[in-house]
Amino acid sequence: MSNKWYAMIAPVITTGALVFSAAPVTHAAPNTFNTALPVAQGEFIWREQAVFRERSSGGPRDRDVSIAALASVLGYGVNSRLAVFGAVPYFFNKDLDVTTPMGRINRDTDGFGDVTAFARYTLYKNDFTGGTFRIAPVAGVTAPTGDDDETDRFGRLPRMLQTGDGAWEGFGGVVTTYQTLQYQVDAQVLYRENGRHDGFARGDETRFDTSLQYRVWPASLENVSGTPGFVYALLESNLVHRDRNDVGSGVDQNSGGTQWLVAPGLQYIGRRWIFEGTVQLPAASNPHGDALEDDAIVRVGFRRNF
Amino acid sequence: MFKQLLLLLAGLMFGMSASAAGNQYTLGVKGVACPYCAYGVEKRLNKVDGVENVSVDIGDNVVRVTMAEGATLTKAKARTAVDEAGFTLHSFSQAQAKQGKSDEQ
Repeated sequence: MSNKWYAMIAPVITTGALVFSAAPVTHAAPNTFNTALPVAQGEFIWREQAVFRERSSGGPRDRDVSIAALASVLGYGVNSRLAVFGAVPYFFNKDLDVTTPMGRINRDTDGFGDVTAFARYTLYKNDFTGGTFRIAPVAGVTAPTGDDDETDRFGRLPRMLQTGDGAWEGFGGVVTTYQTLQYQVDAQVLYRENGRHDGFARGDETRFDTSLQYRVWPASLENVSGTPGFVYALLESNLVHRDRNDVGSGVDQNSGGTQWLVAPGLQYIGRRWIFEGTVQLPAASNPHGDALEDDAIVRVGFRRNF
Repeated sequence: MFKQLLLLLAGLMFGMSASAAGNQYTLGVKGVACPYCAYGVEKRLNKVDGVENVSVDIGDNVVRVTMAEGATLTKAKARTAVDEAGFTLHSFSQAQAKQGKSDEQ
């Protein structure tokens, strides 16, 4: 592990530890990851998120990638401990500007991406007055349902621009939630192993995500009867490490790396509806070579309980 | 005579309205900490036979359940519904009958 890696992960772990030791929280769920979505037995949860993502790389190719997508997630509570989820993105546009020997060119595509299915089992639950603490393993697969062989006038689109990966992927990890009436903390550690297809395998991914949701309105629940809507201020953190992509019998030296994103945001929590928005911004980056990095990700959407 | 009839009528109406009010229960539920969670508890309890109304006082961590006339809520049914919502029943008491119906845990 390099010093750079230590330098990036240490503040995240410290922040997470401070947040956990600081105290209590509730069950509203993060905006930048789906594994902590709450769902009761026999109930559904539906999340729609508009995602606008800007990525870029340095180097002679000077790549700029813009993505506009709609991410749909449906969850179902099989029982009080087991919940299953399905997710699929629709890309309105995946757009690449890149410098080539022919000059600066633009390439783009659209369509449905790969479908993901995952399950979460609440292994440990400690409910207390006005709060709860839960630990749940998560596991799932991503199926190659999106296109991975789209072409344009320049030929086949590069793999990172395709809407699908072309290979099966598996992932697993653990998600925890600590919630009180005043605030909630969620955290997950997740490892994703990407399959190989047509001579290409995207680098495996390890991520550590945390989310703090703090109730800012109503400021106090004293003398408040019933169940009013809550407004939370969000602060989320995503630390992601990606291995280099395998290409043919070698690796792409300009792929993968480590990036830490921080996301402030707002959430309105009603009894059936949740409206939420965040902006993920890079706090630190350590890319491999001229690998693509996130410049900003905007997520705006809603959740409905039914 | 007219005055007596009015009094009799008022008494009958009061008696009818009193008997029409269903049993009310107060449940202490642990784990509920946001409106979204409260809705899950309300929805599960509303599926119990005879439940007429459910309201959650989130600040007090209590759920008030009103039953239809003649219907009763057992602690076992309440516990099952709360468990299915993903939370823990902490206390159960019948609000209307104060004579020994309380069953705090």
